[in-house]
This record gives sequence, structure tokens and C-alpha cells, in this order.
Amino acid sequence: MSEQFSRRDFLKLAGVGAATTAILTGCGPASRYVKREPYMQMPEYNYNGQSTYYATTCRECAAGCGLIVRTVQGRAIKTEGNANNPLNLGKTCARGQATLHGLYNPDRVTDPIKRSSRGGDSTQTMDWDAALQVVAEALKNNKPEEIAFLMGMAPDHLFDLVTDLAKATGMNSPVRFGALGMFEARATLSKAVENLFGGPGLPFFDIGGAQVVFSFGANFLETWLSPVSYTRGFAGLREALTKQRGKFVQFESRMSQTGGKADEWVPLRPGTEALVALAIGKLASEIRGGAMPRAFADVNPLDVASKSGIKLETLEHLAGMFANSTGALAIPGGAALGQTNGLAVAEAVLALNALSNNFGKPGGVYLSALAPNQTEHQRPASTQEMREFIQKMFDGKIKVLFVHGVNPLFELPTSLEFGGASKTVSQIISFATFPDETAREADYIFPDHHGLESWGYQRVATGSAQPVLSGAQPVVSPYYNTRATADVLIAAAQLAGGKFADALPFKDEVEFLQSKVSSLMNEADGSISGPDLPTFMAYFQQHGGFWKLSDGRGVPNAADVLNRNLSAGEAEFAGEGEFYFVPFVSPTLAEAGANKPWLQELPDPTTTVMWNTWVEINPETARELGLEDDDVVSIISEAGELEVPVYRYPAIRPDTIAIPFGQGHTAYGRYATSMDENGNVIARGVNPADLLGQHYNEAGDLAFAGMKVKIKKTGRKQPLSRLESIMGVYGVGLGEEH
Amino acid sequence: MTTDYKISEMKMSEEQTGKWGMVIDQDICTGCQACVAACAMENNVTFVGEVDSGYGRSMHWIRIERFWEGEYPEVKMTSNQPMLCQQCGHATCEPVCPAFATVHSQAEQLNLQVYNRCVGTRYCANNCPYQVRAFNWRDYQRPEPLPNQFNPDVTVRRKGVMEKCTFCIQRIHKAQDKAKSEGREVVDGEFTTACAQACPANAITFGRVDDPKSLVSQMARAHGHGVKHLEELGTLPNVTYLKGG
Amino acid sequence: MIKRIFDWLKQPLGLIAVGIAFLSLFSLAAYGLYTTQQSPEQPIQFPHQTHIAFGIQCLYCHPGASSGPAAGLPSQAKCWGCHNQIAKTQTSALLAPLKDAVLSGTPIQWVPVAQVPDFVQFNHRAHIAAGKNCEDCHGDMSKVTIAQNPQVFNMGWCLNCHVESAGDDHEKLVKLSDCGTCHY
Repeated sequence: MSEQFSRRDFLKLAGVGAATTAILTGCGPASRYVKREPYMQMPEYNYNGQSTYYATTCRECAAGCGLIVRTVQGRAIKTEGNANNPLNLGKTCARGQATLHGLYNPDRVTDPIKRSSRGGDSTQTMDWDAALQVVAEALKNNKPEEIAFLMGMAPDHLFDLVTDLAKATGMNSPVRFGALGMFEARATLSKAVENLFGGPGLPFFDIGGAQVVFSFGANFLETWLSPVSYTRGFAGLREALTKQRGKFVQFESRMSQTGGKADEWVPLRPGTEALVALAIGKLASEIRGGAMPRAFADVNPLDVASKSGIKLETLEHLAGMFANSTGALAIPGGAALGQTNGLAVAEAVLALNALSNNFGKPGGVYLSALAPNQTEHQRPASTQEMREFIQKMFDGKIKVLFVHGVNPLFELPTSLEFGGASKTVSQIISFATFPDETAREADYIFPDHHGLESWGYQRVATGSAQPVLSGAQPVVSPYYNTRATADVLIAAAQLAGGKFADALPFKDEVEFLQSKVSSLMNEADGSISGPDLPTFMAYFQQHGGFWKLSDGRGVPNAADVLNRNLSAGEAEFAGEGEFYFVPFVSPTLAEAGANKPWLQELPDPTTTVMWNTWVEINPETARELGLEDDDVVSIISEAGELEVPVYRYPAIRPDTIAIPFGQGHTAYGRYATSMDENGNVIARGVNPADLLGQHYNEAGDLAFAGMKVKIKKTGRKQPLSRLESIMGVYGVGLGEEH
Repeated sequence: MTTDYKISEMKMSEEQTGKWGMVIDQDICTGCQACVAACAMENNVTFVGEVDSGYGRSMHWIRIERFWEGEYPEVKMTSNQPMLCQQCGHATCEPVCPAFATVHSQAEQLNLQVYNRCVGTRYCANNCPYQVRAFNWRDYQRPEPLPNQFNPDVTVRRKGVMEKCTFCIQRIHKAQDKAKSEGREVVDGEFTTACAQACPANAITFGRVDDPKSLVSQMARAHGHGVKHLEELGTLPNVTYLKGG
Repeated sequence: MIKRIFDWLKQPLGLIAVGIAFLSLFSLAAYGLYTTQQSPEQPIQFPHQTHIAFGIQCLYCHPGASSGPAAGLPSQAKCWGCHNQIAKTQTSALLAPLKDAVLSGTPIQWVPVAQVPDFVQFNHRAHIAAGKNCEDCHGDMSKVTIAQNPQVFNMGWCLNCHVESAGDDHEKLVKLSDCGTCHY
């Protein structure tokens, strides 16, 4: 029989055998039993199977929201808002929720690393003693003025530490940058406040107390300044139970998530925001009667109507709305400021508030409170200041660059050539928690803990009436062989000796923190106080920080705002294309969310697209160009070219296109990147910053919304994953390929 | 042993008011997705990746719907509409389940999804007018150390199982257990669902709808413009939407 | 081919061969089933009966049972609290793994014996509060070394007790027989 035993019969029998084995082993002890490890020494406040909660501060953006993290047996399970923190009052945004996917991200930097060649894959794991030696020698063997720190907008305690170190040793003061700050145009806001009110500061807009809110491009429900706090303000505006429901008007060329909530969405031609604000000011002044304020005198509403594309009747109607309200508020922000005339826009819009005389009043404009241990207004570097920093690198004035909390190769526009400049720096040391683009180009990565494993504090820059210093403490012990950057610097400074050791005479990060907050110990107006430092620090950790009990907001000195000459110029646009280009920060991903898988899977609030980048084009324009959804087009600006699939977006001007910022990573872990057919890591989506040329406004912020671009068809298709029906926005466009 | 479950004595669900309910204020919902992320973190909801989400297989237990009205320039985005299991008093998903995996909880008046009974026919999802059920098409990978984040109070679902919003029943049980151990009743506002807890606008309110004094009952009454979606189907949903504007 | 095999199997010799094959398959399956019901290999042959004989209460080492869902394993510090005062700990081969683990600071990898599937949410506290004693489910620990399950923890066994304890209380019966009480 054996000679006729065919291969097929053998396979049949083998199959039966395999199934039997699978069934037997599948029920066997190996699959049924798990291993459980007890605590070596159980913390006394822990109980088996019960959660322990720790107060700390969210590090997903620089706003400084307080968190309460639920932990079970040493693992962080869930983040909740800290209900006591005056900034967020127990609430979080999506990014705060997903911070755990950063903590337990499979692609973290696990050990100190030496890279054989920049940008290469070949790395060598070091031990921390050797790493400290590298940092110490970098400090010791270079002239102080050749050492530079590039830091993110959080955390503040590390910034303070480096600032102290720099002051004492003559090193360059740390430069702070973040893409959010760039897209918020913080420098412009700050400069406008300085010009109008006499001193720099960050304005705070009390939306919750207002009756009518006019927002010129401010995406305050998304990523702008302090989204959780402003969302609460928005809810207050809409609160119809106790007062009349407030009205909200948004002026922008592409409907943002914020604009989607507006009662009236006014699409204007990009660049005419200042004109529109002044025209509304003029028309409203006419309705109010009395002398025409100097600020609005020169503008011609009819002219503005034709330039901006807003009908004169609409302008008059809006001006009536603004003039007849007892609580009108005007907010400048977002893309409106990121144009060559951004400062004029900010000033014109802020001046509108003088009409309703709401400065320092509920529902009006305030100056944000300085944090408890802060003496003067701080802001991150403007893009122009970054350009100067990069020029210094090009000039060979920087020999050692330390990078922490920021990813300039991704966050800065390519046209600034940070990549090229970094080649002239002899040593780059990154403290990145994740293997991002900049860490890939660094000689060493000495990974910092994740924010939830870290000590620290963050000054709340805006969003809370009370001055707040949000405190951070580790909620879990470090998962990997990482070390707090503050500890690394303190230890390295001791090793370097001399003035470095004198500058940081601390045992560790915690002792440094204590030295920075000890002055708050006996503040009469404080949320907590303690008879001695250990007691105070215990409260500081337990409550998630320190805040004052009284309102610390400043009243802008707006005496002669209306008597000023306000510039009514239009923005200039760079490039030859026929489309205005609006890059906007993805509301769910922001600048550093792309490596968290659940943030990738959150649908974009306006388009419902997940996991990729798209370009928004008005359906009518798309029809004229013969484009359908998912058609890949090439977007060409003076600075670069990108290929990206089309999303036909019904709420964008026909002469404008928009691309979200947040994707397009070429490094930063498996969720932020993608893979081609051969298994090579490629970018997931595109980075619109690649299209941005170097054009600035008067305050030094990048005119990121000041580009004109061309569209070219590629003939290819790339289906976008979207939560809404693939049948498209109006139930049309169901192509054959679906 | 035989058990008399006394079904005849139980009131039919049509006659019952629900127990737990929600009021969602669409006018202040900003569509920020914080609830979606919070729900995913609380309930071990898996992410499915770009390809599967493109096929409509994403597992969101709550999603925020937005629709367009009109055409440019008179285009308007309708109020954001968070859509989640409505915990119907008379649910259309329940009678079609051949495995009794989708059953009505008599104790909590919720629609349950019993994972260990589910055989994956997907009849319930097809019969749900709100389209809020999600099916595990695969064993989706969550590479180490991501599973460290799993909430131990919630089952981790595997391939072939239907799942949906539970009104954070683990939190209901925890609050009830705590109240019972302290010899009292659960107080209104003592706990809430993950979505309501995270919502920066406070657009979601959760509580007892059978208690007229609870905040959720008061809100449903006070606004006067609360609607229940697809009520005409007789589903007796327990989520009230306050329409915007 | 297959037909020829069947013809051969119909002969007496073939029938005997079928019988032997069937028997060996059956015993293999039985053995497989048997192994699944065995207590697992533990890192330490922990004698429950010795500890109970010293008068140590269950809740001393498993305090979570009265206050929360999980009874929990004692921390090694708790073991050592007594054992470092016991001379035998230094010499006993049985206790050597404990000594090694504590002194080297490595966790002992216990294998839980009493466990329910992932899709069951069990809460010890409610059961203790309802007047159940540990031995009602876990058996008499004063008679065993490594814990053994006196019964299979399956749903029928759970529900029987739930229904019994509800008695005539209708509301309690509804609660205790509700799917959502244990499965979510």
C-alpha cells in the first residue's frame, strides 16, 4: 500500500494529527496558567487590586493641564483631569487621554544610545555613566558660548534649570520652540499686546462671559493656546439655561473645527482680515454714533467688501451685531496672524474690543496671569528668531547642540534648513523620549523619562484666572533605562566641575524643584501652604501643583487704542500659484501626537479622515479641475512640492486649499510612519511645513498662511480612511473602485 | 436544580423607564474627540490601523457625527452629534441574537453584550438603527508594552466578537460596590462615564433617569428641546440630545 | 487507494488494528484532559496547611479579599517579615527559593490556581460581605499544601449559588442572575 500512498492522503492524515495536537495542547497547562509576581515591598498606600491615583501635569502640550492618573499595581491605566486645577477643572482633551500610548509606546528609546553615523540605523547602547561623561565633556571641553540648548515649550522646570546653568556659565540661553507656538503666532499676539497696551503679555479672552464672539481665524477649540480652557469658555458662551445664548462668528477662509461651531461662518479672502476688522469697527462706530475713532476712520467698507469677498450687507449686519451687543468680544488668532500683515491683523482685531470697552471686564480681554514663580512674560522663539539661531549654527558658532522636547527637523519648515545647519555642529546630543527625526540626526540619544514618569512643573501661560503652577510627579516608575534630563545635567555639571558644578549645586532633580518652589511655601494667597519644605512638597505633589486663590489676570491699559493709526494693509502672498494655501494644525494629532495609535485612529473632527494627510479642496474647484476624492495631486509652492490625496471639502473658499499639519513623519515610531511594499520605513502622510517659504510678519512669526500654490494632477489614487461614509460629503462620488 | 426566573412577574421593557441615561448637549459639543479617546482608554477599545479603518472596521464605541447643510458659501456644519449605544429600553439588537449574547439587563436596564456568548453573527449590528456596534474582524495587534495600559476591569475582546458602549458598566458596578460597602445608596454625580468625565465642554451628563431629582433628569426637562433619536421606531432610547441653536 | 485501505480494514486483522488505534487515541485524549486538570508547577511548594496550623488568618496574607476585587498575593516583604526570624528558613531546601528571591530582590513567579476567565469580572469583596467564607469556594486550606480547587469554577456553579442565596427576594434574584453582573 505504501507505494500508492499519495501526497494528498498524507496531508489529510497529517491534518488530523495536527488538529488533535492543537486541541490537546490548547487545553494544556501552558496556555491556561499565567504567572503572577507579587510586590517585593508593597507601598503602604497600595492595596491589591485597587487603584492608586496620582496628581501630575499633562505634557502633551505646553498648556499645563492637571491630571489625575489612575494606576493599578504600578501600571498607569487611565488619565483623568485634575478637578482642583483651576486651568482644566477636571477635564482633558483627546491628547491628554492618549498620553498613555506615549508612555507604553512600543517604539520608545529604551537606553542611552551612541549613533555611529548621523541618520544611520547603526547604534550602540551605552551605560549611563558613560553617557554622563559624554555630557560632562561636552560642557567642559567647549567654550560656553559654543554650547546651545534647543528646548520645547514644556517642561518649564528643565527650562529654568538650563537657564540658570546658562546664566552662571556664559552658555547661550536656551532657545524654546514648538510648532504649536509657530501656528499660534504667539510672538505676534505678544507684540500686538505690547504695541497696544504698553507691555508684552499674552492676552486672555473671556469667551464664557461674552454675548457675541467674533473670532478672526483663532482655532481656540482645537490647539490654540489652551484648548481645554477655551472649550470650557465656549460652553459658557452657549450656556442658555442661565443667560441668553451667546453668538459666535468666525472669519476664516477654510472652516476649522472651531469655525464649524459658529452661528455665522464668514469666508473671507485670505489677507483681508485686518481690513474686515477695521470695516466692522467703522460700521459699528457709525451705528453707535458719536465721533468716529481715529483707528477706523480711514477704512472704506465698500472697498473692503470687494476686496474681502464679504457682501457689504453682511458686513453691516455683523457690525450691527457687534455694536448692539453689551458683551462683544473679538479674538485674533491662527492663520489670520500667520501672514505678512499678521501684526496689523492682531492689532486691528484687538482694537475692536475697545469699541465694546471690555478690557479687564467679564466677557472681555485680559492679560494672562503670570504663574506663581514667574516674574515676567515669556514666549517661545518666533520662527525668525529660530532662523537667526540656525544662522548661528551655519556660521559655526555652535559646536555642541543639546535638544530636548522639540523635533526641529519635523516642526520647522524645511526651508529654514535646520538639517543643513545641523551638519555644521560637531556634536548633537538629543534627550528625546521617542526616536524622532531630530534624534535620528543626533550623535547621542540620552532618553528622558516620559512625562508621566517625570518630576517637574509647568507654568500655566494662559487659560486660568488664577496664577497656576502645575506640578508633575512620576505616577509609575520608569519603564525603561531612561533618566531624567535634569538629573543628567546636574550629574554632568558635577562631573564637569568648576563653574558648572557651582551653577547646579543640587543632589538631584527633586532638590532643584524644591529650590524653585520653596518661595511659595508661605504665600498668604496660596492654595496650599506648609510649615516646612517637606510638608509643602508633599501637598504640592498631592494637589498637583500650587495656585493662588485670587484672580491674577491683568487689565490691559487700553486708554488710547482707538486713537491710534492702525495699518489697513493687505497681506502679501509668495509664490506663483493660483490657490491660497492654509496649513492648519491637526486638532487631534497636533505636533507630536502622530506616534500614538489611538490619536491616529481618531477621526479628524471636520473631515473624519484617519491615519493620513489630505488636501482640502472646494468641491466646485475640484469639479473644474476634474478631481475626485482620493485623487493624488501635487501641490507646488516656491519652497517645495508634496503629493497628497484630495478631500473635497465643502466649507473652504474655491481659491483656497488646506493641508493639516501633524503627519509626514519619516521617523518617530511605527505608528507615525508607514511601510512600503518592501518593508522600508516611509513617511505616513505629508508635512505641509515642507511647502512653507521664509516669509515673516512684523513680529517675526512665520507667514505660514502667506503662500500661493499650484495644483498638478498625478493621475494616481490613494484611498483615505475616513469614518464617514465613503460615499462622500453629499452622498456622491461613489467611484467604481469602491 | 431548576430555577424559576419569574419572567412573568418582570415588567416588559416597554413599560419601564430606563435606569441609567445620558443627556448630550449638541450645542456645546465641539467635536474635539476627547470622549472618543477617553472611551478607548477606559474600555480597552482596540485601534485597527489605516487599512481596516478604511474598510469601516474601526472600533469606536462613541463617534462624533457631523453633517453638512447647504453649499458654499452658505454651507453650515450641523451641530456635532456624539453617537453611542442608546441603551434602548426596547432594543432592536436584542431579539435578533441567536446566541442570547445581546440581552437586556433587568438589573441595570442596559443592553448587554456578553462576549463569551457572542458567536459573531453580526445580526445585532445589522439591526441597530444607530449603527453603534463594532465587530472585531481580527485579533488586532497591540504590541508590548501597550497592553500595560489595559483597564483590568474590562474584558479584552478578541476576534469574532461584537462589542459596543456599555455606559461604563464597570464604573456603575464599582460605584454601587463602594456605596454598598459604606451602607448607602449611590449619590447622583458620584461617578460618571469616561466620556462625560473627559468632555472639556461638559456636553455629556450621565446619571439616573428614573430619579427626577438627578441632574440628568433635570437637564432633560429644563431645556425643553431634548430629542431622542429615531424614537419613532419604538426603541425607547435612554440618551437625550439637546439640539443646538 | 482509500477504497483498498477500507477493504483491508474489514479483515479481522484490520479490525484489531482499528481497535488498537482507537484505544490509543482515546487514552491520549484522556491523558491530555487529565493534564489540564492538574495543579500547576509552583516555584515554591507552599504549604498552606502549615501556615494555617500556626493560626494565621487567610486575610493576613490576602487582605484584598475583604476590601476589593482581588485577594492578592502577599508581598515578599510580608513573607520575610516572619521568615527571617525562623531559623529553618536559612537551612530548609524547600524555603531556599524564598530566601534567594528576597535576598536577590527578584519576584517569585507564582502560578495562580483559582482563576476565572478574562470575560468574568469577579469581586471578592461582595462575596465576603454577603457572608461567604473563603473555604466555601477555595476548600479547606488546612488540608492542602499548594492550593487546589475543590470544584471547577464554571458558570453553572456560580449561578447555582447566586440563585440559592437570592431565595425569595425577587429584586436580588434579578441582580444576581443578570449577565451584566459578571460579564462586561
